[in-house]
Amino acid sequence: MQKFLSYDRGLERFNPLARVICYDDFDTGFNGWLDLTPNYVEENYESFDSVIDLSSWAPNQLSSAAMRFASSHGSMEGTYSLKLTTAPTGGPHTEPPRNGSMGHAIKRLSRFGNPKLIQIESWYSYTPVQDREGKGEEDIRAIGFFFDVQDSEYRYMPGVRYVNSLGGKLVKKWQYYQVADGVTPEDWNFGVKDGWCVPGVDNQWYGRRFEDGSGDGYQWLPGGEQDLVFNESPDKINWMYFRLTVDIEKREYVELQSGDQVFDMRGIKPTLTEGYASIDNLINPIFFIETDTDRSVNLYLDSVVYSVE
Amino acid sequence: MQTTNTSVIARRVKISDDYATLPYEAGWANEAVTFVQAEGDHPDLAIAVEVSPDGINWIRRTGGTLAASQQIVDLPLAQFGNWLRVVITGATSEQPARVLVHLNLKG
Repeated sequence: MQKFLSYDRGLERFNPLARVICYDDFDTGFNGWLDLTPNYVEENYESFDSVIDLSSWAPNQLSSAAMRFASSHGSMEGTYSLKLTTAPTGGPHTEPPRNGSMGHAIKRLSRFGNPKLIQIESWYSYTPVQDREGKGEEDIRAIGFFFDVQDSEYRYMPGVRYVNSLGGKLVKKWQYYQVADGVTPEDWNFGVKDGWCVPGVDNQWYGRRFEDGSGDGYQWLPGGEQDLVFNESPDKINWMYFRLTVDIEKREYVELQSGDQVFDMRGIKPTLTEGYASIDNLINPIFFIETDTDRSVNLYLDSVVYSVE
Repeated sequence: MQTTNTSVIARRVKISDDYATLPYEAGWANEAVTFVQAEGDHPDLAIAVEVSPDGINWIRRTGGTLAASQQIVDLPLAQFGNWLRVVITGATSEQPARVLVHLNLKG
């Protein structure tokens, strides 16, 4: 069969790899992006024991980006974006994430076409809710993205996190997912013995966090300083470009692109862990946002492209 | 064909005081049905659905009761604009509740 492909014009603002698996424009719905929840498989549908309340993350929404004093921003192209939000429950950044202090959106996929490379792209923006005076930029702790990957041997999570602000002080540097040497499962699970999660899995909420913003699960990206666009008021947003490419043949990072800045990540590896039962060939992309204070913060995804090669 | 989506806007939350769900944008939908469930023993709970121009300032639109003898109640709503939330009152530290709130939207 000879195929002729005609791409949607909306893909012009992306740089997908050879095969586009998903082009999710939230003008057409949630497109399978959903809230991140734990496994309710214990007695009375409880989940496993954890210091983190994994059931507390706020619900994702289709947003017209309606602001308090500005009007609806719509999305970059269209009316709706996918909005990740948090509860107003941020705590100190050296502590485990408090209930509801993060927002996540996950899409549950599997491997197709035996690719060497996988890539996620998005146009996005972020802002706190305008529930108080001031600029508000310093109340957004971080935004991030990671793939949850399992192949025939390993489970691993290549991801990046933009540390925007810690304790009200702007930081504006990128980190990547990799576990520091010597981190024990007990460290990772905040002291819970025989914790369910192993070091290298779910870095976004496990692993100890330190005063300078480093953590057991995060390393600073060399040269990773970047001043992203935060407009002059919490009720104004600007759309920005994001891309992360991962080599799943070599199990290593390839590139992070943020705006026009490209960070070469070749040679850097995520932490490999032993595979879990029943999830061979799983690939889940996940976005998240974290609040730094007692204020809800929002991450808007205009659209997302997942491609492979 | 219409779009429909169900969000869980309170997920088995333990409450012992007045409680409100986070502001939720639902402007794409024409109709909404909120389901409030209690898991286990609970006192009579007053349920209200509120609407808002901005997700910050709220107006009470409709209400109902989840009696101690009931497990689940539904509250339909139309012409709600963009923002809505659910407010639950009646739980106390002496008589707490564990609640689960589903929001079904269609439009």
